[in-house]
Amino acid sequence: MAATPAIVVSGLSKNFGSLKALREVNFSVLRGEIFAYLGPNGAGKSTTIRILAGLLKRDAGEVSICGADVAQNPVLVKERIGVVPDESNLYPELTCRRNLEYLGELYGLRRRVRAGKAAELLSCFDLADRENTPFGALSRGLKRRLTIAAALVHDPEVIFLDEPTSGLDVASARALRELIRTINRQGTTVFLTTHNLYEAEDLSHRVLILIKGRVAAQGTPREIRQRVQGLNLLAVTFSQEIEPTHLLRACPAVLKVSPQNGSWCLEVAEAHAALEQILAFAGKADLRLKEINTVVASLEDAFLSFVEGRSQDSEARP
Amino acid sequence: MSQFRRGWAISCKDIESYYGKPPLITWGLLFPAVLLLSVYVKDPATYLAIAPGIIAMTLLFGNTSMAAIVVTFEKRAGTLQRLLLAPLSIRTIILGKALSASAYGLVSALALSLGLKLALGMPLVNPLIFIAGLMLGAGCFSLLGLTASVMVREVFEAMTLLNFFRFPILFISGVFMPLSQLPTWLQPVALASPLTYVVELLHFGVTGRSEFATPVIPLLAGLLFLLVSWLLAEAMFRRRAYA
Repeated sequence: MAATPAIVVSGLSKNFGSLKALREVNFSVLRGEIFAYLGPNGAGKSTTIRILAGLLKRDAGEVSICGADVAQNPVLVKERIGVVPDESNLYPELTCRRNLEYLGELYGLRRRVRAGKAAELLSCFDLADRENTPFGALSRGLKRRLTIAAALVHDPEVIFLDEPTSGLDVASARALRELIRTINRQGTTVFLTTHNLYEAEDLSHRVLILIKGRVAAQGTPREIRQRVQGLNLLAVTFSQEIEPTHLLRACPAVLKVSPQNGSWCLEVAEAHAALEQILAFAGKADLRLKEINTVVASLEDAFLSFVEGRSQDSEARP
Repeated sequence: MSQFRRGWAISCKDIESYYGKPPLITWGLLFPAVLLLSVYVKDPATYLAIAPGIIAMTLLFGNTSMAAIVVTFEKRAGTLQRLLLAPLSIRTIILGKALSASAYGLVSALALSLGLKLALGMPLVNPLIFIAGLMLGAGCFSLLGLTASVMVREVFEAMTLLNFFRFPILFISGVFMPLSQLPTWLQPVALASPLTYVVELLHFGVTGRSEFATPVIPLLAGLLFLLVSWLLAEAMFRRRAYA
């Protein structure tokens, strides 16, 4: 993987009236990587994408995509990027092939080139047998596939994927994730936003978590998990049903109890103290501990920890 | 040149998707044809006095409505965003959209005129000025339709907004009565309407006579209105299309 940046964002800020949508956001995306841009609803993800894609003007900061500023050279930048919005928005009345060829025309591809590219993409995305089907008649999954194919018609250096698998069934979502990997293996930088944290962890090389317009954390999924301070998880199975409030009262070191596949997932402040307290609680209540395991924090755990303000990355500190 | 080709591609696609549909063409022709025939049946001698006005009115309503409907529809469907994400300048998008709407208006007006010539023997004293009038009207009204479409979200809102403009100018622009027969205080107001100049150019084209002594005045005024409509559409697209 080449280590030159495809996207560099520094000090990016955007206000909508009194609402500060983005506050001094800084990040860079290296060429050839899959970069997941995560955050809860209203965090500023869509605003960032709209600015990067040239659909919205920023209030402050610098944005460079493939070496060009999107505000200064929007046409140049748009020639180098492909955008897949969260809604599949191709032309419903046009066939799959005509949609791809028309978009090829908008990107200035010559007739023979765009015809060849359309055929290649239809084949690559397993849509060759639907080439004459109007886009509006496709299933949701096939629409999503064609929308991604459409973003690749001009061989972009960077592709922005906004919720690529949203609303898809498990098989279609898995197939689409494999396609995203294939696109990336072919050298395209992928900027991914998703609410599916499993997907983000599975696909991305690096992750950024945005909360209330600020960068809360960024790094590899592993680094993000490790940065979650004080997050120790235990999976405990008792011989009988317990009342979680009793457990919380008896074990001050246990911060949170939640059911998980027939056992209990305990978030604890300090594992050693918590273990002693849990054992004492089990002894008093005449319970047997059938199983106790430490749980490795997932990206989802880490994400929630950042969202709930239990963890802070150095960038987010005042 | 590359941007012009892309604008041309937008036009061709819009004609394929919207303007080339037979029901739309029929709608654009039937209403003015029936209106003119009813006037002709009542008094064959006077239909020529209002034929250019009716053709101009067809352009006004057809072009403003269709341009507005297409863009509003694409905004709702999210396909307008496709154009905004593509490497196209705002001018290219406006050019592409306006060209296709203008082509629709021109074809409808020419078909109507041809029908009138064949069926009722409508004269065409100066075809070049007639065509120039149609082109200026088609361009100007398409751009005004585009302007209205980016200011609103729904088709009915676009139509309401346009009607505030279309109906008043219909009565002051010499469509149904010559400018000289308008009340004196209304005559200067008529000069502020682009439809006035389109109607007068069509009168020049059909009968060789007009309220203006020379076709140069309505031609220059039509060009001025075309430029103003373009600037208005461009300003509105820059402000509102990304919203």
